[in-house]
Amino acid sequence: MTDPSPMNSSEPSFPPDGAESTIPGARLQTVVGAGVLLVAAGLAVGAISIPGDAGYGGVGPNFLPWVCALVLALCGGFLVYEARTGGYRAMAESSGGARADWSAAVWVSAGLLLNAALITTLGFILSCTLCYVLAVQGLRRAAGQAGARAPRTWAVDVFTGLCISAPVFWIFTQFLAINLPGLTGTGWL
Amino acid sequence: MEILDALMAGFATAITPGNLLWALVGCALGTAVGVLPGIGPAVAVAMLLPITAKVEVTASMIFFAGIYYGAMYGGSTTSILLNTPGETASMVTAMEGNKMAKSGRAGAALATSAIGSFIAGTIATVVVTLFAPTVAEFAVKLGPPEYFMLMVLAFTTVSAVLGQSRVRGMTALFVGLAAGCIGMDQISGAARYTGGKMELLDGIDIVLVAVGLFAVAEVLYAALYEGRTKDTQNHMGRVHMTRLDWKRSIPAWLRGTVIGTPFGCIPAGGTEIPTFLSYAAEKKLAKGANKEEFGRQGAIEGVAGPEAANNATVTAALIPLLTLGIPTSNTTAVLLGAFQNYGINPGPQLFTTSATLVWALIASLYIGNLMLLVLNLPMVGLWVKLLKIPKPQLYAGILIFATVGAYGMRQSAFDLFLLYGIGLLGVLMRRFDFPTAPVVVGMILGPLAEAQMRNAVSIGEGSWLIFLQRPMSLTLIIIVLAVLIVPRLLQRRARA
Repeated sequence: MTDPSPMNSSEPSFPPDGAESTIPGARLQTVVGAGVLLVAAGLAVGAISIPGDAGYGGVGPNFLPWVCALVLALCGGFLVYEARTGGYRAMAESSGGARADWSAAVWVSAGLLLNAALITTLGFILSCTLCYVLAVQGLRRAAGQAGARAPRTWAVDVFTGLCISAPVFWIFTQFLAINLPGLTGTGWL
Repeated sequence: MEILDALMAGFATAITPGNLLWALVGCALGTAVGVLPGIGPAVAVAMLLPITAKVEVTASMIFFAGIYYGAMYGGSTTSILLNTPGETASMVTAMEGNKMAKSGRAGAALATSAIGSFIAGTIATVVVTLFAPTVAEFAVKLGPPEYFMLMVLAFTTVSAVLGQSRVRGMTALFVGLAAGCIGMDQISGAARYTGGKMELLDGIDIVLVAVGLFAVAEVLYAALYEGRTKDTQNHMGRVHMTRLDWKRSIPAWLRGTVIGTPFGCIPAGGTEIPTFLSYAAEKKLAKGANKEEFGRQGAIEGVAGPEAANNATVTAALIPLLTLGIPTSNTTAVLLGAFQNYGINPGPQLFTTSATLVWALIASLYIGNLMLLVLNLPMVGLWVKLLKIPKPQLYAGILIFATVGAYGMRQSAFDLFLLYGIGLLGVLMRRFDFPTAPVVVGMILGPLAEAQMRNAVSIGEGSWLIFLQRPMSLTLIIIVLAVLIVPRLLQRRARA
C-alpha cells in the first residue's frame, strides 16, 4: 500500500526555499524538555502529600499522580536527550513566520489579563470591549497595518467591541440565564 | 422492529418546533465555525457549555450535535477555497480540493464534498441506529477491567498513533491525565494538587482547557507568528457537478463510507487514518486520465472519498461515545463533558435510562444531515462571505466568546487567569509540535479510567493479575501492545 500520509514519515518537512525554519532551535527544545522534567518533579512533590490509603483496593488516590510524575519524568528526559542529539524527531514546520512578534503578543496578553482582573468591577461589556480593543490593536500591528495607531481606528475598534460584547451579554444573561457580571445590577449594562 | 419503534419515538421528540430550531441553529453555527479559521467545533461546544445550566438536556444535546457535524461540512468549504486547511480532518480534502479549485473546478469540489458528506453521514447514522443498541447490550457485560483496558486503548491510539512523535504524544497525554488529577479524588475524597486553593477543589473545567488550548492559544499564536501570513482565496464559481463528476463521485463516496465507518466505531479515535486511507485507495484505483489528475489539476475522487470517510468516521464515533462513554476526539470529549454537566454518564445504561434522549439525538442526526445539505449546497455562497471578515477583528472577537465560556461556567475571575495560562501552554505545544487532542482526551477520560482501574484492582482483591485473567481484558491488552509495536516493526522493515 502506498502511504501518502506525511504523518508517518520520519523525515522533517522543510520550509519553502529561502524561508527560515520555524522549528525552534536545540537550546529551546532542551528548555522545553527540562520544563517537562520540572513539571514531573512538581507532580512528585505534590504526590507525597496525597494520602495513599488504598482501602480494599490496593490502589490509593496517590497512585495515578505517581504514575504521571514518573512517565513525565521519562518523557522529559527523553525530550532533553532528543534535543541534545540533533533535535526533536519528526518535527513539522509550523504555520507562520520564523520570528515571534513579541510586541503584538504583549497587546493581546494585556487585553486578556486586564479582562480577567477587571471583569468583576467593570462588568462584562466594558471589560470585554477593552480586551477586544487591545487584542485587535496587537493583531493589527502584527499584520503591519499602517493605520493601526490612528485615532479613527481606535474609535472604530471601541465601537465594534461594544457591538459584539453587548449583544453577547444580553443573549447570555437574558435568554440563557447565565450569570455574567454587570457594571450595574440591571442586567443590561 | 424494536429499534424502528424507538427511532420513530426519537423522531417524534426531535421534530417538535423547539428541537428543530435548536438543530437548525446548531447546524448553522457548526457550519460557521467550520468555515471560520481559528475556531473549531470543540471550542464552539466548549464555549457554549454554560448553557447546560439552563437549557433542557435533549435540546442542548441536539444543538451540540448539530455543531459537531455541521463543522465538518463547513471545514471542507474552507479547505477547498482557502489555501490553508483549518483542521486536520480536512487536510486530505485540501490536497485535491485545493488543486481542483485552482484549476477552476471549486464548484464541483464543493458539491462533491457536501453531497458526499450527506451520503456518508446518513449511512453512518443508519449504522449507529442499528448497531449502537447491540453494542450497548454487549457493553453491559463488561466489567471495570475491560472498561479500563478499552480506555487505555483509546489513550494509546490518541497519543501514539496521532501526531508525529510518540514521546511528544505521551507527554501531552500525561499532562492531560495529571490535569485531570487536580481537585477532589472521586473515590476517597482526598484533595490532590489544589495547593490549598478552593477554586481548584472542583478540578479544572474542561471548558477552560478546550477554550484555552484552542481559542486563546490560536489568537496568541496568530499575534506572535502569523501577522504577515497572507491567505489567498480561490475563486468559487458555480456549485455544480457534471454527469461525469457524478459517475466518478458515487463509488468514491461509498468506498469512503465503508472505510470511515469502522474507524469511528472502535474507540481508537482520529479521522486522519481513515481519510488518508481513503485517499490512498482512490489514488490507487484511479485509471488513465483520472489518475493523471491526482496532484495536478485535482481529481474529484480525491475529494469525494476522504470527505465521505471523514463524515462517516465522525458520525460513527458517536457509538463509542454513547455506548461506552469513551470519547476519541476533542469534540466528543467536550460532548462527554456536556453529558456530565447534566449528571448523565454515557455508557451502556444510557440506552435504557435515557432512551428518549438517545433516540431523539439519533433522529436529529438524520434531520441535521438533511439541513446541512441545504445549508451547504444552495447557500454555500453565504458562508463563503464569512471568509471576508478580517483576521484581527475575527480573532479579537473570538476572545469575547472565550470569556463567556470560561467565566460563565463558574463565575470565577480566577478561571480567566487560568485560561490565559493554558493559552500560553497551547502556543508552546503548537510551536514545538506537541499534539493537543491527547491533553483534552486524557483530562476528561483520565478520572473515569482511574476509577475503573481502582475498581478493577479491588475486584481482584488487590491483585493486578485481574487484567490478565479475564479473556476480554487480556485481548485488549494484546491489541494495545500491537498498536504500540506493529507500526514500529513495519517502519523498521520498510527501512531494511
